[in-house]
Amino acid sequence: MLLNTTFVKSFKNDLSHIFLHENIVPNNNEKIFLSMKSVKQHSPLSRLIISSLAFLLFFSLNLSAQEGDAANGEKIFKSVCAACHKLDKKLVGPALQGVTERRDQDWLIAWIKDSPGMIKSGDKLAIQVFEENNRLPMTANPQLSDQDIIDVLAYTKGDSAAPVAAASQQAADPGVELGKAVFKANCAACHKLEGKLIGPELLKITDKRELSWLKLWIKDNNALAASGDKLAIEVQASNPAAMTPFPQLSDEDIDNVLKYLAVGDVEQAVASSASSTDQEIFDNPGFGVLPTLALTILAFILLSVIVAATTNKKVVEGEESTPSMLKTMIFNPFLRFLVIIFVLLGGAWMVFGYLFQIDVNEGYQPIQPIAFSHAVHAGDNKIDCQYCHSSAKHSKTSGIPTLNVCMNCHKSISEYNGALFGDYSKEDLDNEIQKIYDAVGWDKDNVAYIEGFEQKPIEWVRIHNLADFAYYNHAQHVTVAGLDCQKCHGPVETMHEMKQFSPLTMGWCIDCHRQTEVDMTENGYYKNIHDQLSKKYGVEKITEAQMGGLECGKCHY
Amino acid sequence: MKSILKITIALGFIMTLTSCWTDKSKRNYQYMPDMYKSVGYETYSQNPNFANGMTTQLPAEGSIARGQVPYDYPNTNEGYEDAKLNSKNPLEVNEENLANGKKMYDIYCISCHGQNGAGDGVLVQRDKFLGVPNYKDREITEGSIYHVIMYGRNMMGSHASQLTAKERWEVTMYVEQLRTELLK
Repeated sequence: MLLNTTFVKSFKNDLSHIFLHENIVPNNNEKIFLSMKSVKQHSPLSRLIISSLAFLLFFSLNLSAQEGDAANGEKIFKSVCAACHKLDKKLVGPALQGVTERRDQDWLIAWIKDSPGMIKSGDKLAIQVFEENNRLPMTANPQLSDQDIIDVLAYTKGDSAAPVAAASQQAADPGVELGKAVFKANCAACHKLEGKLIGPELLKITDKRELSWLKLWIKDNNALAASGDKLAIEVQASNPAAMTPFPQLSDEDIDNVLKYLAVGDVEQAVASSASSTDQEIFDNPGFGVLPTLALTILAFILLSVIVAATTNKKVVEGEESTPSMLKTMIFNPFLRFLVIIFVLLGGAWMVFGYLFQIDVNEGYQPIQPIAFSHAVHAGDNKIDCQYCHSSAKHSKTSGIPTLNVCMNCHKSISEYNGALFGDYSKEDLDNEIQKIYDAVGWDKDNVAYIEGFEQKPIEWVRIHNLADFAYYNHAQHVTVAGLDCQKCHGPVETMHEMKQFSPLTMGWCIDCHRQTEVDMTENGYYKNIHDQLSKKYGVEKITEAQMGGLECGKCHY
Repeated sequence: MKSILKITIALGFIMTLTSCWTDKSKRNYQYMPDMYKSVGYETYSQNPNFANGMTTQLPAEGSIARGQVPYDYPNTNEGYEDAKLNSKNPLEVNEENLANGKKMYDIYCISCHGQNGAGDGVLVQRDKFLGVPNYKDREITEGSIYHVIMYGRNMMGSHASQLTAKERWEVTMYVEQLRTELLK
């Protein structure tokens, strides 16, 4: 990717030189040589001429060189510089907006390429900058070409707003969608929008090449090269794989593809959260309407049959004359008997149900001091569970991460830019991040810890809690047994607000110990035990229960 | 009529019972919690005996726990240069160490540095954390890799609290392997 862009850039550079020679130099060619000689003679007139000419030349050189490609610069900036710099704010390094007005371009290029070298060589300005920025040395970037750096400098001027606006205008064009389809069908095998595949990346290629040239190139690049087009020959030479010609594409198709390439994938503004409730209902249909209806009807028919059967008998015996339906039902002894049985059974069921849920905290969801979302961190951003809960692999306690772990990322992420969730607005969520800073004493404007700040711990509310008489050890379940976190804690990566998924009752523990097989192949400790146990029980697979995982002393001492 | 009354009472009674724990933001209640609460102070519990209210207190400065070896290079630029040249990996390069190094890398480094160390992790792809360098772009040695895991550098934070010394060296080993593959 980088190789490719540097090639394009260096080519542009060549072009600008060509222009220079054509436009400026021919007219003054002789004069330049004349004045060259006159330098030695120190004639005032010739000095004036040469200095003005030199100025003109330097200025025009400078101008043409400064025509950096801000789009490319943005890309380089994001991949190389953004770790320490922002345009409008101080990060580790100073804000870079308008840096080209403060410093000389040549100095900047030298500085970006090898700042430690410049400091060592005793460049005064370099040492001054170094001192001003807390003596943090800037990483040298020898891999960047001059043109790359000029592009980045162009980006720091902040003039990238115009193409963005243009892009959003073009986004409304239906051709973009058509072009995307054509692109996917024909080009995507070898090209990606961003990143090199077999061919170079194509996003914003329209900014780099002439549209008419691109059209010819796509239709038949071989013919274009054969016709002696310099650019085509050069592009062909730069890529080892030959590009397939596409004579079958119409001009309109190619137009659309180019439109698509200029804009890229337009983000869908429609939030997906709207359908979440439907999705929930779809996922948890509960008790279907139809079965319920069928059961009710069945019960009703059964009831009428019973009433009819028992009442008829009484009518025959002449005990009652013409009773109403309700009355017969109430005074029907058999029905009364049935109801009493039903109520007793139902009551018992409910009483036992009640007794069994005492101290079971399944679904416990307290309000935490910070609206930390596992769905954003572990779900969207795919951060591994153990990144934050790092003690799970070695310790009995899988701890709550300390604030330094939060700060590993939130030093640079001070705003929430993802999809909104719950009832929170973006400001609310930015405030939640601010709470970390308030606890740990981080000044996000100066990007430094506040000196002498008295740090306060965050008082998280513990959700999963075992009684003190039970011993549970994370390390032997996570590291030795290799259980997935989700097995006990549920789909945490989908929970914006953490809640208890499993009941954590003793029966739940034992169930799992009865069913889970122990993997004895990897672990050297089990080598002998495995053979002995499998002989004793006559089985190949040993469960936790057979290893003594149900003994009282294992968990309760 | 009496039975209807009885039924209603029974139903009402049952409804009241079952609807007891409806507030899920509070704990369910317990029955005679004899040994439920710890008498001692547990790892992360609150502790009224200390000024900052935490059970977890810092060890005295300069103390060395048994089995721990302090890292002598200071967290400064000079320390970084020094470590880059002189700090050497005490572990033997073998399958087991590399496998564990990969495991740890996939947990702690992959989000930003990407699977192959090309600086294209999920966070970078999602524009959350930008400017993660490719391993092949920087001049790094085993000493400097360890130093940076230990202390962090610029925007990268220290990962010493998440990885043990042995794991840090294993990750270092694996990163070196990734880098040689990237440089090919």
